[in-house]
Amino acid sequence: MRVKPIPAVDIRKLNFRYRNRQELAIKDISLQVMPGELLLLAGASGCGKTTLIRCVNGLIPRSYKGEISGQILLNEEDSSGLPLARISQIVGTVLQDPERQILGTRVRNEVAFGLENLGLPREEIIPRVDEALDHLGISRLRERETFHLSGGEKQKVALAGVLAMRPSILLLDEPLASLDPASAQETLDLVRRLVDEGMAVIMVEHRVEDVLKYKPDRVLFMQEGEVRYLGLVEGLKNVVNYHEVKLPAPDVIARAAQDPPPAALRFLPSVSGDERTVEATALVQFEHVFFHYEGGEDVIHDVTINIERGDIIAILGANGSGKTTLVKHAIGLLKPRSGRVLVDGRDTREISVAEVAKTLGYVFQSPSHMLFAPTVGEELAFGPTNLRHTPQEIEKEVKEAIEIVNLSGKEKDPPLALSFGQQKRVSIAAILAMRSRILVMDEPTAGQDYQNYMEFMDAILQLPNFAAILFITHDIDLAVIYANRVLLVDQGRVVADGKPQDVMRDFSLLTTTRLVPTSLLQTNLEKLAITGRFLRAEALAHVSQS
Amino acid sequence: MLVTWRYKKRRSLIQWFDPRAWLIFFTSFIFSTLFFWDLRFLSFFLAIALLVVFTSGIRWSEMRRAWLFIGGFVFFFTFLTFLTGRGGMEVYANEHLIRRLEAPFTLFGWRPAIDVTVERSFFALSQMARVFSLASMTILIPYSLNPASYGIAFRGLGFPDKIAYAMDLTMRFIPTYGRDFQLTLDAQRARGYELEKLSGGLFAQVRKMAPLIVPVTIHAIIGSEDIIDAMDLRAFGVGPRTWIDQLHYRHRDRILIALAILLFVASLLLTFIGLGEFWVPPALIS
Repeated sequence: MRVKPIPAVDIRKLNFRYRNRQELAIKDISLQVMPGELLLLAGASGCGKTTLIRCVNGLIPRSYKGEISGQILLNEEDSSGLPLARISQIVGTVLQDPERQILGTRVRNEVAFGLENLGLPREEIIPRVDEALDHLGISRLRERETFHLSGGEKQKVALAGVLAMRPSILLLDEPLASLDPASAQETLDLVRRLVDEGMAVIMVEHRVEDVLKYKPDRVLFMQEGEVRYLGLVEGLKNVVNYHEVKLPAPDVIARAAQDPPPAALRFLPSVSGDERTVEATALVQFEHVFFHYEGGEDVIHDVTINIERGDIIAILGANGSGKTTLVKHAIGLLKPRSGRVLVDGRDTREISVAEVAKTLGYVFQSPSHMLFAPTVGEELAFGPTNLRHTPQEIEKEVKEAIEIVNLSGKEKDPPLALSFGQQKRVSIAAILAMRSRILVMDEPTAGQDYQNYMEFMDAILQLPNFAAILFITHDIDLAVIYANRVLLVDQGRVVADGKPQDVMRDFSLLTTTRLVPTSLLQTNLEKLAITGRFLRAEALAHVSQS
Repeated sequence: MLVTWRYKKRRSLIQWFDPRAWLIFFTSFIFSTLFFWDLRFLSFFLAIALLVVFTSGIRWSEMRRAWLFIGGFVFFFTFLTFLTGRGGMEVYANEHLIRRLEAPFTLFGWRPAIDVTVERSFFALSQMARVFSLASMTILIPYSLNPASYGIAFRGLGFPDKIAYAMDLTMRFIPTYGRDFQLTLDAQRARGYELEKLSGGLFAQVRKMAPLIVPVTIHAIIGSEDIIDAMDLRAFGVGPRTWIDQLHYRHRDRILIALAILLFVASLLLTFIGLGEFWVPPALIS
């Protein structure tokens, strides 16, 4: 007779309401995860994914107070009676951003942290640290300082720190969010291996398409705190709309073929014609720009590029390749060590950042570094007020910006009380309200759910006031769908600059810059002879029919 | 993520010693210096501080900013004390005038004047020697103490686990705060905000600083919550912890600790017998 396996995680009728909140964050959740199972947990921002993770790892109700009902069994043991120290040996958690999890200054100290806290003898800790590093193939990082690791390396070190405690359950809260595609793939390879070795893994992830390649056993799709779908991957594709979750391009094409063709969008409507126009004076000119931080080596190396009217530029490259440093030169926050940057023909060394801001709006990667005002409305009025727009103009600009990022009705809300995804949209709206002619966005879609970011990217690119748009991204598909020019940055150098269909057909070049071709890119390349340009999957569905 | 100070391994006097031994010496030096106002004794402390600075192996370009900031601060306040003559009133009672400098103009009938006296001049010199000795020794700490050893060094000095780790995190929180401040300043400048153009009264100026103060503060709070979560999730504080790094005292460290104790006890004794109080050369006031 076969023995019925014990579930690693058994959640029974779980409800939770945060203190000071009216509504339940999660409602009536019941599910089991077996050893050796990978459960993908998907859903829009604010749907309760992180709350569920916090319930399983014990932070709720121990660190986050509120009303909880239901039961969670970990390897058949009721977790409500367990201290956090005990839970942490059963459940390992890797948070969304490894930067926020790493405490140790050196890799081996970081990996040893949990074991040190358990008071294990030194002779036991050191071999376990080595074993965890070895298991993830990062023994070479052992003596490195954590601060100097790349994003992907940090994620692996955070994972090693958790694995050293030998948990049987692993929770991953958007582990790919800040990683370049190659690092994301390496992380997923590791996770798959851990699952195959018998670990129960729950992975929260917006990048559903990437995870699907690694064959999760089941998918849990949440909406407004409830389970909307729990079952096999194949079933998800029938339940969710392809606008809500990013599915592989062939699946979207198959589904979209049944729907009417999407409306044609006109990007950068202020620019006449489809093509970018090379004028006598480029909007922004980089001339042999070199840059290094004090006491360091060159991080930007001899960059010469022009940003022309009509450009929609995607800047792609690995974590730490110099993308952000490069665009910070465009607004004058950094000045070249040699060479020069001209905005509207004026050297950024000779004008203030505030003056450049009239021409070039720059959306920072992290919204929490800029939000301060008591209401969303006031937050959005800050930039235009600094630029001395009239009150009538400001009112109009704020209203339009709020509509574009889909936050109507939130004008009076404090921005700091919004979810991360909503804060990100406020930070974009704050720059849109300034009505600059050039828009620069650093990772505009990071931490956003698919439907939201596609909607606001569509809306931003159709705005009447921009002469050029530039965005940094790790999402190749964003470049495929929106860009008419791609810059590949590698170790501070621009290694490719051209039309997406020219640059991105060279897969070996993509691989050297730690990018991974997606199904949308591959499908577009296959159909390029018919389409002549890259299209989104919904549009490709109708090309294939014609 | 918590960032660290610009530490690197150097061949230097400070780094020749165990960090615990150096922290003991540093503490003794600071308290001993504070006993004295006598420029002759303070010169001894300043000489030690300068010896440590010049053997620290830290390049001027690395610590220029810290020196300019602290140096400017010290000069400004010493000069202010010198002008007003107020700071030294507690350590000297009588003044011997060298020269009275009067402004060639009057303000509403009042003619500004400075009395340059022997006491004021020597007080300014003593104050500078004292503060520079303290500042020199303190500036070097972040450049010379390995951040990986903060926790174990404090633990080794007898602090409990939680306090030692908290001090470790605090030491690293300061440069992290600096980085966040710079990022926020950049983000707001990109929105046309100009710190240098703040105007209005004190309250109005503070209010206009909100775009900087609020995000940096909120970020610090959120960052702290993340740190607490990360620590909780890995069983921090559940009982006595092991520290995998170990520090070992060598002969030289014991000598340094003995010197630190000697310095402190000698300073204490000298103070008890009335030496080390404010001093001016008798020849100048006779």
